[in-house]
Amino acid sequence: MMKEYELFIGPNHPGATGNMSYRLWAEGDKVKRAETRVGYLHRGFEKLMEKRLWMQNVPLVCRICVPEPDINEAAYSMAVEDLMGWEIPERAKYIRTIILELARISSHLMTVGSIAASLGIYTAAQWGIGDRDYILDIFEEITGGRVYHIYIWPGGVRWDLPKNARELITKVLDYLEKRKPMYDDLILNNKVFIRRAAGVGVVPKDKAIEWGVTGPNLRAAGYKLDFRKLEPYAAYDKIDFEIPHYPKLGEYEVVSDGSDIYTRTAIRMLEIVQSIRIIRQALKDMPEGDVLLKQPQWFAWKVPAGYSYVRVESSKGEFGYFVVSDGGKKPVRVHVRGASYTHGINVMETIAPGLNIADFAPTAFSLDVCPPEIER
Amino acid sequence: MKAMELFSEAKEIKKGRIRIETTKDKVEEMIKKLKNNGYEHFVMLSCIDWIKDGKFELVYHMWSYKYKEHVMISIKINRDGETVPTMSHLFPQIETYEREIHEMFGVEFEGNKRLVSFVLEGWPHMPPMRKDFDTEKFVKEHYYKIPEVKEE
Amino acid sequence: MRQEDWSKLARIMSKRSLWMVHFCTGCGAMEMPPVLTSRYDMERFGMISMATPRQADVLLVTGYLAVKTLKRLVQVYEQMRDPKYVVGFGSCTINGGMYWDSYNTIKDLSKYMPVDIYIAGCMPRPEAIIDAFLKLMDMIDKGEATGWKKYHKYYKQYKRNQKMAFSYRLDEVKDIEEGDGK
Repeated sequence: MMKEYELFIGPNHPGATGNMSYRLWAEGDKVKRAETRVGYLHRGFEKLMEKRLWMQNVPLVCRICVPEPDINEAAYSMAVEDLMGWEIPERAKYIRTIILELARISSHLMTVGSIAASLGIYTAAQWGIGDRDYILDIFEEITGGRVYHIYIWPGGVRWDLPKNARELITKVLDYLEKRKPMYDDLILNNKVFIRRAAGVGVVPKDKAIEWGVTGPNLRAAGYKLDFRKLEPYAAYDKIDFEIPHYPKLGEYEVVSDGSDIYTRTAIRMLEIVQSIRIIRQALKDMPEGDVLLKQPQWFAWKVPAGYSYVRVESSKGEFGYFVVSDGGKKPVRVHVRGASYTHGINVMETIAPGLNIADFAPTAFSLDVCPPEIER
Repeated sequence: MKAMELFSEAKEIKKGRIRIETTKDKVEEMIKKLKNNGYEHFVMLSCIDWIKDGKFELVYHMWSYKYKEHVMISIKINRDGETVPTMSHLFPQIETYEREIHEMFGVEFEGNKRLVSFVLEGWPHMPPMRKDFDTEKFVKEHYYKIPEVKEE
Repeated sequence: MRQEDWSKLARIMSKRSLWMVHFCTGCGAMEMPPVLTSRYDMERFGMISMATPRQADVLLVTGYLAVKTLKRLVQVYEQMRDPKYVVGFGSCTINGGMYWDSYNTIKDLSKYMPVDIYIAGCMPRPEAIIDAFLKLMDMIDKGEATGWKKYHKYYKQYKRNQKMAFSYRLDEVKDIEEGDGK
């Protein structure tokens, strides 16, 4: 008879996805029960936003999700535009699409690298993070910042793309396309990876929607659902792209019943391909014109009273902003729904029992749990 | 427009966004009815502090992948010690949202067994998301008063 | 060999093999992967990240610190063996940065633990991080990075400040003895 024992993973642990921790109760090598503990990154954003002007909140919101800050700016801006009744210029919509997709690629590259690294393929992490840096270079050229851009804001984007943006972006996209077969050989066609990842950390298909799973994790469970198609924002309604979902894994072998680590990784790789396709189209179809609405004085904005919920499809899932205004200079309430809120806490706690301890970290990485968006 | 057919009190505030104002005893039935009628995705549970009216507003957000509709069920409760029945048996993630609101606003959810601390640890003051909690004053009185380490 | 020569030799050795605790305390941890991996490759300078604090020399505090993290950070710092160095990363560790009025983040890291060098910015670029580490190595070489000695000397004061932050209440802390550091 083996004795049950407690095990801490995190916050100072390479297997924890950022600054968060899990408390596990295990017997031998099997996890019996898990508890997610968060709060190490709580900054009280929602309180601070109530204290600041509508415009002052733009540099604040991007800090909510660190690996992919642009979705925050986009969602917050969309909520303000919704309450103000603004329609942004056509060119700004295309630029937003390009920026959001570049951010998605950069986030996915890092996630795929981390999943593989947590299973022992450290080369993948070196590659993923190294290639992500080329995208950060593009961001730097366009916005001036590597990680935080503060580029998308209410009424459009801050300034037009630089003249050489098209060449810069195309060059990196060509490079990434060339790199993809190498990633496939290293990760998804790798027998060791398949043996470790197939059938591990399963989110059951019939429970996925009820548990609030969204994004690539939901598509890996076999649903063709994507908020870019369901509720198109930016210029997604004018762009032709596919939604990769289980069991249509394209060039990858279907090795399991879906929604395991392998499928979630494959979906992310396929989404990178689709993102490249979207950016190429957006660059081609982008009209000329203004990129920012003529705005009232920034410090005198009064946003009409009302409730607004907007959502964007982030690389992790549904990212929503619930913004309430009473007609004043500051918001009454801004509530952020991070995709990891459900993935990291309830889903992780429910699927953890029965996992091997060694499979716990890859499962958390493959759900792409990002703690700053849980506690904000 | 499914939710408009189900409930007479539903109001469309813009395309795809429906708002229902109701009372706390009807919420459970409504969420159950919506869940059985295609609104399978529970998005989130928000709380708003309307300090002037002395009310908290709880907003249950639900989404239907089928009808592409977002429903916000809103209830108002008194700010001082009014309890709300838990909905965590309907969707598992509501448990965490209730836990957060309990910590940040001090709302009691009857029947939720896991209202333990969530992000704060040993917080002895007023729940910080309440409007009468002044974060700037707190910071000045707390962090800025901690003395610097004096070197001799 | 004399004592001074030995310690000089030890400093030269340790500056070329700094190991860093792998602890992502804040959003600055986002710029650490590029620094650690192929593009900027910190290993050129003998620096790698280490999962366990007992084998590490440098504690990099990446950005803002929630009080809950500070508790863990102090534990990690105290587990590290001397000599140990603290690098404050980003404007949040200097004065709170953009969270200056947040109820849950500490504002000035040097009140709770001795900081050897700060990197300004939000967030600092990889080049700035590497530059800071090179400066830290220089300081170690010259024997100027003495934060850990300060922690021993003024231990009571640091402990008092930490307790004040952890308890969230200043009036409760009055009974903690006013340490003069001796």
